[in-house]
Amino acid sequence: MIKVNTEDYPWHPGMTVRVLLDEKRFTFRHIIVRVNGEFVPEEDYEHHPILDGDDVLVLHLMAGG
Amino acid sequence: MGTILKEYRYTPAKIKRGYSGKSLYLNLTDLRFEQKEITDFMKEKLTGGKGFDLWYLWHAITPETRWDSPENEIVMSVGPLGGITQYSGTGKTVICSISPLTDIPIDSNVGGYFGPLLKFSGWDAFEIQGKSEKEILIFIDGNNGLIQVEDASEYPEDTHLLAEELTKKYAEDEDDMVNVSVACTGSGAKHSYMAMVNFSFYDPRRKVCRFKQAARGGLGTIMHDKKIKALVVRYRGITPNLNDVADISTINKVGVKYHKEMHDLDHKQNKMRQIGTANTVMIMSQYDLLPTRNFQTGGDPETYKISPQVFINEWLTQGLHDGCWYGCTMSCAKCADHFLITTGPYAGQRVTVDGPEYECAAGLGANLGVFDPQAILEENFYCDTYGIDLISFGTCTAFIMECYQRGQITQEQMGGLDLCFGNSKAVLELLHQISRGEGFGRIAGLGIRKLKKIFTEEFGADPKLLQDIGMETKGLEYSEYAHKESLAQQGGFAMATKGPQHDEAWLIFMDMVNKQLPTFEDKANALYYFPMFRTWFGLVGLCKLPWNDIVPADNHKTDAPAKVPEHVQNYVDIFNAVTGKSIDKEELIIQSERVYQFQRVFSVRMGKGERKDDYAPYRSLGPVSREEYLSRQELYDRQLRELQNLDPEKMDLDEKIAVTRRYREDQYEQLMDAVYRRRGWTSNGIPTPERLKEIGMDIPELLEVIEPKL
Amino acid sequence: MKVLTHKQELCTGCLECQLACSRAYFKTDDPNYSAIRIVENNRTYRARKCTQCGECINMCTANAIYRDRNGVVRIDKKKCVGCLGCVGFCTELVMFYADDLEVPFKCIACNICAKACPEGALEVLVSQIKEN
Repeated sequence: MIKVNTEDYPWHPGMTVRVLLDEKRFTFRHIIVRVNGEFVPEEDYEHHPILDGDDVLVLHLMAGG
Repeated sequence: MGTILKEYRYTPAKIKRGYSGKSLYLNLTDLRFEQKEITDFMKEKLTGGKGFDLWYLWHAITPETRWDSPENEIVMSVGPLGGITQYSGTGKTVICSISPLTDIPIDSNVGGYFGPLLKFSGWDAFEIQGKSEKEILIFIDGNNGLIQVEDASEYPEDTHLLAEELTKKYAEDEDDMVNVSVACTGSGAKHSYMAMVNFSFYDPRRKVCRFKQAARGGLGTIMHDKKIKALVVRYRGITPNLNDVADISTINKVGVKYHKEMHDLDHKQNKMRQIGTANTVMIMSQYDLLPTRNFQTGGDPETYKISPQVFINEWLTQGLHDGCWYGCTMSCAKCADHFLITTGPYAGQRVTVDGPEYECAAGLGANLGVFDPQAILEENFYCDTYGIDLISFGTCTAFIMECYQRGQITQEQMGGLDLCFGNSKAVLELLHQISRGEGFGRIAGLGIRKLKKIFTEEFGADPKLLQDIGMETKGLEYSEYAHKESLAQQGGFAMATKGPQHDEAWLIFMDMVNKQLPTFEDKANALYYFPMFRTWFGLVGLCKLPWNDIVPADNHKTDAPAKVPEHVQNYVDIFNAVTGKSIDKEELIIQSERVYQFQRVFSVRMGKGERKDDYAPYRSLGPVSREEYLSRQELYDRQLRELQNLDPEKMDLDEKIAVTRRYREDQYEQLMDAVYRRRGWTSNGIPTPERLKEIGMDIPELLEVIEPKL
Repeated sequence: MKVLTHKQELCTGCLECQLACSRAYFKTDDPNYSAIRIVENNRTYRARKCTQCGECINMCTANAIYRDRNGVVRIDKKKCVGCLGCVGFCTELVMFYADDLEVPFKCIACNICAKACPEGALEVLVSQIKEN
């Protein structure tokens, strides 16, 4: 089990940041991803692994109206 | 063209550190002009813009004043930073009056040239009281210190014709057209309470007038009631430092830095320069947040038809400057050129349509079940030229459509209009009827609160259902964000002072997606900071969009990315550089809070600033209908389990809906308690003398109003 | 269109071009008032100056930038409001400003610096205009 934005989410082997974003349908591009507090730049989304027990933050910087 | 009824000559005041120091007062009943001083007290306590507007309005009226009382005023002011040219979004004016929809003060902000030109003509604020006998226009010649009141009965009614004619008339030559700005409404103001005021500016590349709107609250209705056809201002000679700033070097430096940021990053971020605020339409739908069919759901499979890319590729001219004041490189006021109108009085004409902004694509699109970009653009055009607030019109028409869908009103009762979701032809016909004051158009523009009464008393509709699905609070229609699952945004809307406009708070992603506001205290802190911060812009003449619709490249490394700290510092630096003061980020919030609390007390004074007025229709808080519950069943069932320890398997649908409702209504009550505490209000929502004292607003006028309510 | 060109192999970094430009237009020796800026990198010298690309024309918030009859990009002082948008937007960073000037300034291919260059490294040439 991992945490995504403070909520429990099931983990599976082979999960990367990109896989997680796709599963959660986080299509918004203007995001900040931190895994266990560490910032992950966009170019690393494809390969950065997410391990069981990780704490993932996907902050959407949505300006709104 | 018309007879000059009155002339007034004045010596234009010189601007000092962002202020001309003078406001203009006009009484239409006896055509009397006065000049007033902007006092140090006003600058200190109220800063400018909305602060000055509310101050003048407060002293002009009594608690018995209604929107159409002669003593009601339209007051407008641009603020000390208004009119600088070096940063983006520096031309915003705020207009205030007592609203026909809410009976309390409305403040409505509008971009464009009118406000800066008014200030450079010598006026920090302009108050208009009374009512004219004839339809008039008021022309302010800021270079020559001349104001004329002219009989305007011969001029056209609708904005796109009226503004063009007046701009040509008052400009000395083609090059001078950019120095003229027209404020006007349209034929829609005669028969609706939701008419707005357009501010024009001349686009020298396209050679047409462009329009921004002071949309919310019915200011156009008031303008029409006072028989003001138009306000025109002309000021020639814009230079980089008409504001007599204290420190031009800082302003230039911050400006260049910001322009470079826009150049380097906008196309990688929100693409404001390509599409403007409608860039969020697809995202909102993908996150189930696009208000669809009267806020019933958060999106639709057909949303791709009105995606930003469709508008960029097929409708909106790319690559030209589209800012609504000089220096705005965010340039987000996109438009469709040579657009062919197919219905109504202007059918067959090719026009420039200013939009669609997000509220239009959502409110005249998804929320009406319309996914046709051409129809949306034509609806946008007619709302603009008829002078109708498209947010109120969209949300109100969505309400009408759902009432029809649920058999609460009949086609016959709507004069034969088949106003079902998706029928854009009927929507356009309704707009034309409002303009002509015919058929259903005689009442459709009165707003949801009045329609709820008419539908239940005269058409036999179910008052409880209508209360649940009529998206208004305090009489003002909600703006276009589906927020059923965001308690913070529910509070942001329903506890907003003027009514549910999102200028105060836009917390949906922070709350629902990022989950950054888990506790009541977190939500209350956000509902303190963001409304205070966001309403500061309206005191000084700034547009909110450049604050966070683009962020610096390293914003993610800051400790509060949602606040965009570097941009907040830009604003502090620019404020100090213009005025010569030395505020910091904390003082900025206090400046704003002074006016925020003042406005709340003003609402109390007018009878609508208490807890009872801060409740939301249930559609805002949760699923009203079975279809709504079923559309998010997984989420709602899970919440029954996790939040209430109940077993959804053992409950029937209606029971689940009722139990969810009780829970959410109770959550909202608790949120109110937390927010009121944080804002320094009593449990009844009244600002306390202690809080007013803390921020230096313990002035006799305000204490007198709150004392009996404590 | 006319455009100023610079031959790195001939440039000795003497900065006479900068002096000629700032003296001609602003009566100062201050290089911050020159529309040509010589940048040193390991004893080779590059000249930064306007390429007349014209990207600033459409983005100008006052519609004040245009091409003259030589295709040179110019600022109309009567229309410019000093917003400095062009300064921030210039990809080459060759639109310049100073706090005591009302409008920004740029190379207008006037040839003054080319005449002042003792090494013949600068030349105003005529080339094709890119469509804006």
